[in-house]
Amino acid sequence: MQFDVAFALSTVPTILGAIGMTLLVAAVSCVGASAIGFGLELIRRSGGLGGLFVRFLIDFIRATPVLVWLYCLYFILPFYGIRLGALATGMIGLSLYYSGYLAEVFKAGIDAIPNGQGEAARALGLGRIDMTVFVIAPQMLRNIAAPMGNYFVSILKATPYLAVLAVPEMLGRAFDIASETYRYAEPLTVAGLIFLGLALLISHAIKRLENRLMGPTAR
Amino acid sequence: MSILEIWLGILQGFRVTALVTLYGLVFAIPFGLIFGVAQYMTTGPARFVVTSIIEFWRSSAVIILLFVFYYALPLAGLALSAMTVSAMVLGLNIGGYASQAVRAGLQALDRGQKEAGHALGLSRSTILLRIELPQALVAMSPTFINQLIQLVKATSLVSLVTLTDMTFRAKEISQIEYDPVPIYTSLLLAYFIVCYPVALFGRWVERRINPAREARCAV
Repeated sequence: MQFDVAFALSTVPTILGAIGMTLLVAAVSCVGASAIGFGLELIRRSGGLGGLFVRFLIDFIRATPVLVWLYCLYFILPFYGIRLGALATGMIGLSLYYSGYLAEVFKAGIDAIPNGQGEAARALGLGRIDMTVFVIAPQMLRNIAAPMGNYFVSILKATPYLAVLAVPEMLGRAFDIASETYRYAEPLTVAGLIFLGLALLISHAIKRLENRLMGPTAR
Repeated sequence: MSILEIWLGILQGFRVTALVTLYGLVFAIPFGLIFGVAQYMTTGPARFVVTSIIEFWRSSAVIILLFVFYYALPLAGLALSAMTVSAMVLGLNIGGYASQAVRAGLQALDRGQKEAGHALGLSRSTILLRIELPQALVAMSPTFINQLIQLVKATSLVSLVTLTDMTFRAKEISQIEYDPVPIYTSLLLAYFIVCYPVALFGRWVERRINPAREARCAV
């Protein structure tokens, strides 16, 4: 058997047709992971028992594979009667998993803000929430645009894991074609190239956005 | 099935997990070193070629790369074992990330180091091997340890190409016995037990290299 270029090209429309699903999963997971990650980091900083637990949770997430987390959620949740479907389970899995990484990014971003900022906010009589939203978060986002963008690209590259749960994203489509035609190399190569292109495109876009954000203070 | 039997079952896959990690390093370390140095030393078209190769391995989704090479290499007449293909793909993917750490470490060095070497009449290769690389590699060692953890976690993917690693064993066991909760939690814990000590070691190394950079903003 040889690599059939014509056949490979014929699979492009079908696989590309699932790009919407891939982008949806990636976008939802990025938002989910950022929200959960920021929440986790705030709990961790507040200390106490909750902080200690979150600290362990983040370490635990970072020391375990994302694939195993997806299996865990996919097989364990229904066991307790929670039926969410593969797509929702997958997006929750990616959000939870990458929240552990984004919490670390937020930590570095907040640590880099000078102490005086928090003290000034308190001196001005800002409450905890106002201080977090209006003083800490905007400065933090500037500090972490680059690593956060990198993790967004990582999330994009993790979306094909959902094919394992039979979510019809691009890799899933490629496998559908493969099992119908018994030709694996061509559709998988096409899916791989589309993902590579997408990842390069998005990391380029993030780099440009980052330069914009840094503006005149760019290092 | 008792918890002990589950653990023994998962443990049967540890050998493959460890082997893929080890063979993966055989690919990752030379690739990271050579391409990282090459990206640092080259300019113009040569640098473009080096960067392209690095980006291919680094920016592709590793799960798709694994499938593509597993199914496409035989078409090219290269019948490699699942173990070799997995080690190569996972290794070169991590090696791509490592190369960026090598390059960044070299670029972060004070220019005076290289200039002092020149002033002493040392050749470019001696400067690189005896002055620049040792400092860069030590400075980046926490990053390399992190990447080792990423590699261990990525080995869970080889369960998808028929290798009987820990993840594969867990899936097998849960197919025989429908009891997903203890099986998949044990699997998560198994990876945690392998990876967490490495993470702690990484933090210890980081503290040794980078003492005293605590001064955080209170949020």
